[in-house]
Amino acid sequence: MSRDFRALTRPALARRRWAIAALVAPAYGWLTLAVFLPLSAMLFFSFLKAAPFGTRPLQFTIDNYLAFVRRPYLVDVAWTSIQIGLWTTGLSALIGLPAAMALARATKGRSQQVLFLLIVLPFWTNGLVRVFSWTMVLREGGVLDYALHLVAPPAPPFSLLYSFPAIVIGLVHAYLPYMILTCYLSAAAIDEAYIEAARSLGARNPMIFAKVILPLCLPGLISGSILIFVPVIGSFMEPRILGGRVGVTMGTMIEDQFVQAFNWPLGAALSFTMLGVVLLLFGVSSRVLPRRILAQ
Amino acid sequence: MTSHLSRRSFHALFSSAFGAGLLTIAGSRRADAAATEITVLNWKGYGTDEAFALKAFAEATGIAVKHDYFNAEAEMLTKLRTNPGAYDVVLINSARTQQVQADGLIDAIDLSAVPNAKDLSPSLRDHPNILVDGKPYGVAWLWGMTSLAVRHGKVADANSWAIFSDPNYAGRLALFDDSITQVGIGALLTGQDPNNPKDLKAVTGALKAMKPNVKLMWSSEDEWNKAFAADAFDISDYWSGAAARSIKIHKLPLDFVVPKEGAIGWLDTLAIPSSSTKKAVALQFINYMIDPKFYVTWATQSGAPASTNAAAMNALPPDDLNHKIYKPEDLAKLKFMSALPDDRRQAFNDIWDEVKAYYAK
Amino acid sequence: MIAFGRIYLVVIITFLYLPIAVMVAMAFNESELYTLPIEPSLRWFAKLAANAPLLSASRNSLLIAFATSAIATALGAMAALALERRQFRGRTLLRLLLLPPIAIPWLIIGTAMLVFFFWTGIGRGLHALLIGHVALAIPYVVLIVGAGLQTLQADLEEAAMSLGSTPVHAFFMITLPLWLPSVAAAALFAFAVSLDQFVISYFLSTPGVSTLPVEIYSSIRKGFTPEINAISTIFLAVSSALIFVFAQLSNLGGKRGSG
Repeated sequence: MSRDFRALTRPALARRRWAIAALVAPAYGWLTLAVFLPLSAMLFFSFLKAAPFGTRPLQFTIDNYLAFVRRPYLVDVAWTSIQIGLWTTGLSALIGLPAAMALARATKGRSQQVLFLLIVLPFWTNGLVRVFSWTMVLREGGVLDYALHLVAPPAPPFSLLYSFPAIVIGLVHAYLPYMILTCYLSAAAIDEAYIEAARSLGARNPMIFAKVILPLCLPGLISGSILIFVPVIGSFMEPRILGGRVGVTMGTMIEDQFVQAFNWPLGAALSFTMLGVVLLLFGVSSRVLPRRILAQ
Repeated sequence: MTSHLSRRSFHALFSSAFGAGLLTIAGSRRADAAATEITVLNWKGYGTDEAFALKAFAEATGIAVKHDYFNAEAEMLTKLRTNPGAYDVVLINSARTQQVQADGLIDAIDLSAVPNAKDLSPSLRDHPNILVDGKPYGVAWLWGMTSLAVRHGKVADANSWAIFSDPNYAGRLALFDDSITQVGIGALLTGQDPNNPKDLKAVTGALKAMKPNVKLMWSSEDEWNKAFAADAFDISDYWSGAAARSIKIHKLPLDFVVPKEGAIGWLDTLAIPSSSTKKAVALQFINYMIDPKFYVTWATQSGAPASTNAAAMNALPPDDLNHKIYKPEDLAKLKFMSALPDDRRQAFNDIWDEVKAYYAK
Repeated sequence: MIAFGRIYLVVIITFLYLPIAVMVAMAFNESELYTLPIEPSLRWFAKLAANAPLLSASRNSLLIAFATSAIATALGAMAALALERRQFRGRTLLRLLLLPPIAIPWLIIGTAMLVFFFWTGIGRGLHALLIGHVALAIPYVVLIVGAGLQTLQADLEEAAMSLGSTPVHAFFMITLPLWLPSVAAAALFAFAVSLDQFVISYFLSTPGVSTLPVEIYSSIRKGFTPEINAISTIFLAVSSALIFVFAQLSNLGGKRGSG
């Protein structure tokens, strides 16, 4: 029987469409019920003046989406969130990619497995407890301060807590394993033959890295960046606990709307605005990046 | 080179996990507990869930008490609204009572059915915030104040909120991350009514002036305790009940002062949701909560805000901290939080968000 | 070069475990307020043993995490297969749809779920928790499995088929074994996402039925005591054991190259 896929018959095409539908339907069906429908309700709320409870009639408004205009301080806050996102993602990539490569290429067998699992294990500890543990490391009288004074007693008290770097440290620590994981999955799948071919053509390590390894790890870098940047710009735990008075982000502002003001519409509108920005960013980059990859 | 994970072991893992999942779901559908229990909605660790109290109440009436908690007043509102019939007693700040009543969520209380209510201070029991059409929609239970807390020995003669912008304490201030409280303090500083300051710009200015001193925000008693113990700050606004506990249990060196501009008072009530099916029992529990026997044990064991029951306050041992904190002459300087219309509440929240963004720049 | 790589890995792992070491150390510290220096004590473990709500919450967390991991990995891996390996209309849209669950703060999704489940009668409880956890884990699974699939060469399967293999056979013999490490990694992450998830659990849990992160978050209010560190240390020990058992059953190492 011919298995030439370049000439699919119509029933085969239909069968393939069914196969695809069957593969994606369960996951997206679940997401629709649990996420997309509830979020649609929230989207509806964001056009109201007040959370739709009680007996008051519904009043519609787009004021909430003009929040950045009505409340100019939000622009500063949004910029802070983006900066936190960029720093965290950038540092995670800078630290994580070499770690992933080292894991994939400098270790083998049992020790490779063990190291991989050691990197994943921190994920299984509770995030809140980890952040509090960071306060104990960074604060005055904490682990770092203690260690400094063991080595250099006359030094002044040292504290990194309640600062922008503290927030980034906490976030990088929490999200780094994502980057290491995705880059590792890409790095480990690189066929040794490519490297050998490049070497036999006279290329040296830096060239091999730039022209062979880096492009092949790009999918891992991109997935990792998505998994890190997107949640980080909306984070509120680490900024609030590690940042002190500088820990004011879109995440904390949105939380305030829900928790202090009971203004669901405004909180929802801010979130959807953030989502819109993120979708825009990825919509644009998914057109730009594939072309650059193909050009390699 | 091929994977060592055999299909069989993979299947085994998956199916056992799936099975566990199904069992969990099956378990959660079991019939609900018997009708000899009530559910209370409150802050965690705020009196109604004291172990000795639950035991005593169960022994006296044979009724078990379950708890659900909230971490913010808005959450309390959400839980009330999305869980009809789930709660029998709910703690409501008197500032919210009228708002909650307007949504038809709570019932009027017949105080004649609550024997201990006769000992409540009349000004608190019949506080205008709790009354709608002359009927009380909650039993006044505890009151306290948010006032000035300073580190003993390091801060002398603190008697005004202005210390928050005093350059001597740069970087040594911790503020409560709550818009109502902070706008209230700003209002007191500018000589206005915390519940209805007319000059919001002045309030914003007073709060922004604190920037050089602000080191961190706190939002829970535990956070406050840990940061204070770690010597992170010297001056702060803090709750009176929490201050008592910090001194008594955690032995922290703090002085609790009511400044000359006054302090922000709050009055908490216990209310009964209209959707409750066990209102008679709920009333019994509330009666026990305002009983001096409960209050004195709680206050002396752990530390508590002030009771609305004058007999209970008098029953406290003479050297109890609460006598030091709740001095009669301070009562006049206390401004109780009252109901806020939605747009004013939103305005307060916007001010505080703006100030926080300013602090962060 | 290899030695340098190994030293670098050790540095990274030290960084990752610094706060965790502190967390474990504080579980054995006498002080209730986490002050240094450390005075050794086991009293928090003793208190933990008597803390029934915390223990039952931990049990619930584990059960839900197992179930979430199984379901989310199965659903997400299937979806990733279709998304990465075939071109079809709507593929970009489906990819973009993975972003809202990750982009929108969990607080919003949690509130949205609470309201939606209330209106549709799904209500709160363990079943609602499971629905929420799986939904949040799926995008992570799809992205992680997807990353692994992208680097795999798609034409291996077609090569096998041009040699006479059926598509199903090619899938099970060629793609699946190469694909499994990503799936296994995604399963681990789905487990972690569920274990650490507190906002959804917070909104969808009923009184008396709770999960560990919810208990921890609620304790912030009044009593974040080292009992929390004690249970976290126990969890860490148990997780390590589980993971290393899992490692015995699978090979997460490199697939290409020698061997």
